[in-house]
Amino acid sequence: MIHVENLTKEFKFRKSQPGLKGAVKGLFSNVTETKTAVNNISFDISPGEIVGYIGSNGAGKSTTIKMMTGILTPTGGRCLVNGIVPYEKRMENSQNIGVVFGQRTQLWWDLPLSETFTILRDIYRVPNKEFQDRMEFLESVLGFNEFIHSTVRTLSLGQRMRADLAAAMIHNPKILFLDEPSIGLDVVVKENIRKAIKLMNKEFNTTVLLTTHDMAEIEELCNRIIIIDSGEKIYDGDKKQFKDKYGYMKTIEMNIANEEKAKLLNFNTSFNLSSEDINWSIKDQKIVLNYHKDKVSSMQIISCAMDKVDINDINIRELPIEDIVKGIYQGLT
Amino acid sequence: MGRYLKLYGRFTAQYLKFMMQSKVNFFIGFFGFLTVQASGLAFLYLVFQHIPTLNGWSFYEILFIYGFAQLPRGIDHLLTDYIWLLGMRVIIKGEFDRYLLRPINPLFHLISERFQPDAFGEIIVGIVITGIAIKKLGMEITFLKVILFIVFILAGAIIYTSIKLFFASLAFWIKNSMPIMNLTYAMADFAKYPNQIYSKFVQAIITVIIPFAFTAFIPATYFTGDTSLTLALFGTVGAAIISFTVAYSIWLRGIKIYESAGN
Repeated sequence: MIHVENLTKEFKFRKSQPGLKGAVKGLFSNVTETKTAVNNISFDISPGEIVGYIGSNGAGKSTTIKMMTGILTPTGGRCLVNGIVPYEKRMENSQNIGVVFGQRTQLWWDLPLSETFTILRDIYRVPNKEFQDRMEFLESVLGFNEFIHSTVRTLSLGQRMRADLAAAMIHNPKILFLDEPSIGLDVVVKENIRKAIKLMNKEFNTTVLLTTHDMAEIEELCNRIIIIDSGEKIYDGDKKQFKDKYGYMKTIEMNIANEEKAKLLNFNTSFNLSSEDINWSIKDQKIVLNYHKDKVSSMQIISCAMDKVDINDINIRELPIEDIVKGIYQGLT
Repeated sequence: MGRYLKLYGRFTAQYLKFMMQSKVNFFIGFFGFLTVQASGLAFLYLVFQHIPTLNGWSFYEILFIYGFAQLPRGIDHLLTDYIWLLGMRVIIKGEFDRYLLRPINPLFHLISERFQPDAFGEIIVGIVITGIAIKKLGMEITFLKVILFIVFILAGAIIYTSIKLFFASLAFWIKNSMPIMNLTYAMADFAKYPNQIYSKFVQAIITVIIPFAFTAFIPATYFTGDTSLTLALFGTVGAAIISFTVAYSIWLRGIKIYESAGN
């Protein structure tokens, strides 16, 4: 369905020096710098797959998606989306894809939401019966009827995202590109959106390429993960493999009163685990500890700590993507 | 083609509905424009109280040209107002992406983002003034003349749109082309008055380089008998075709080099 081969994108820009002197200098100089946002990426995605396309900020995710949707033309390599070269046959490609950019809406700002839907129906030439059925389905899954007559301008972020997702699905695209669709949303709305994507994939065999920073989202939706860092692909494999290799670490932050006492703690000896499986640092009245969640539980760690030092507050979270990516690099080197 | 007409009809109906909802807004815009036009006319009238002719042109001849000038400008303003935003913000903010993601012509998509009923004020004033001038000048109304009138107005509107599109598309390169668009548009006012009152240099610019002269002065003076049919017809239609071709090519080139806006 999607074929990406040695895809590369370079941006040229003028290098400017800081300050007024630098600005004046810039008028006369012609020094351009090249930034390689995407460097020689290749992968293939089959119909019906839900693929997580993850990486830290600035890794090149959005740039890759913009090439696959026809917005940008690659500097090197090529890609095929459903057999079409997107940046050469943009309009034809648009018929096959649905795109949601989390940061920007594609709805008509000054019109009621219902109008966006009917205008899209006309633009994509969706037959009336099919349109009715699809709207019913999307309403059952995204619940937008309560604000369908409101002007898009007046919608909250959560409502707008649900509407954007619905709008992307009206013409039943074979491929959905979702660029951070749940950014800034609360837990409930995120849940709705995830359910919607899963159902659409099940019902219509829609191929989904999803960019996100949310590990839980990857967890729930994706069966395959591609990781990109500094424009290069550094991992491509199924989710279970990924979790087994990298998803097992969690972080506990413990707020403490007495740093001196905390320095007496040694979790390696207490649990007989190497520093790969458990490591920590003490700073700013806090113990920040990373641990292998299959080898030791948070409760065990906390009670061990409480033995020696008073704990005022606790915060437990998944290892963020950035740290996982760092970890992958360390694993490679 | 028919599909685009139907789509555009749909967009327009929706915007009209929306604009009518804020009736106050609608009427303020409408009458605002009317007032601006009226003051321009008052100025003309006052000038002609003191001089019998302007370089050989009588008051009603000038009035005819002035009124005629409003019509192509008004039509362009009514339909393609959003092109201003291309130069102002659409490119800088990366809002252009969405026009590339739909299976319709991006220029059509851009233009259909806004329908500007304020322009009805311009158009109505133009019709009224032209009507008065025609009566006072005793112009003969023939079927051919009516057809030519419509052709000239439409061609003039295309010229306006093309010039606007050309300068707005520069935003693909320089990001913000508002200043240059404003400057150029100010020149459009030159076409409201007879060409001869300007220096040869200015005349050359507004005829050949940025052909505002063909939106009003040249076609209008065909009807007053001062310009030949050949020049008026072939000049105006020719200018429309050439300017649109040039503008549309720049627009397409701009899309090719478009780099979006990060995230």
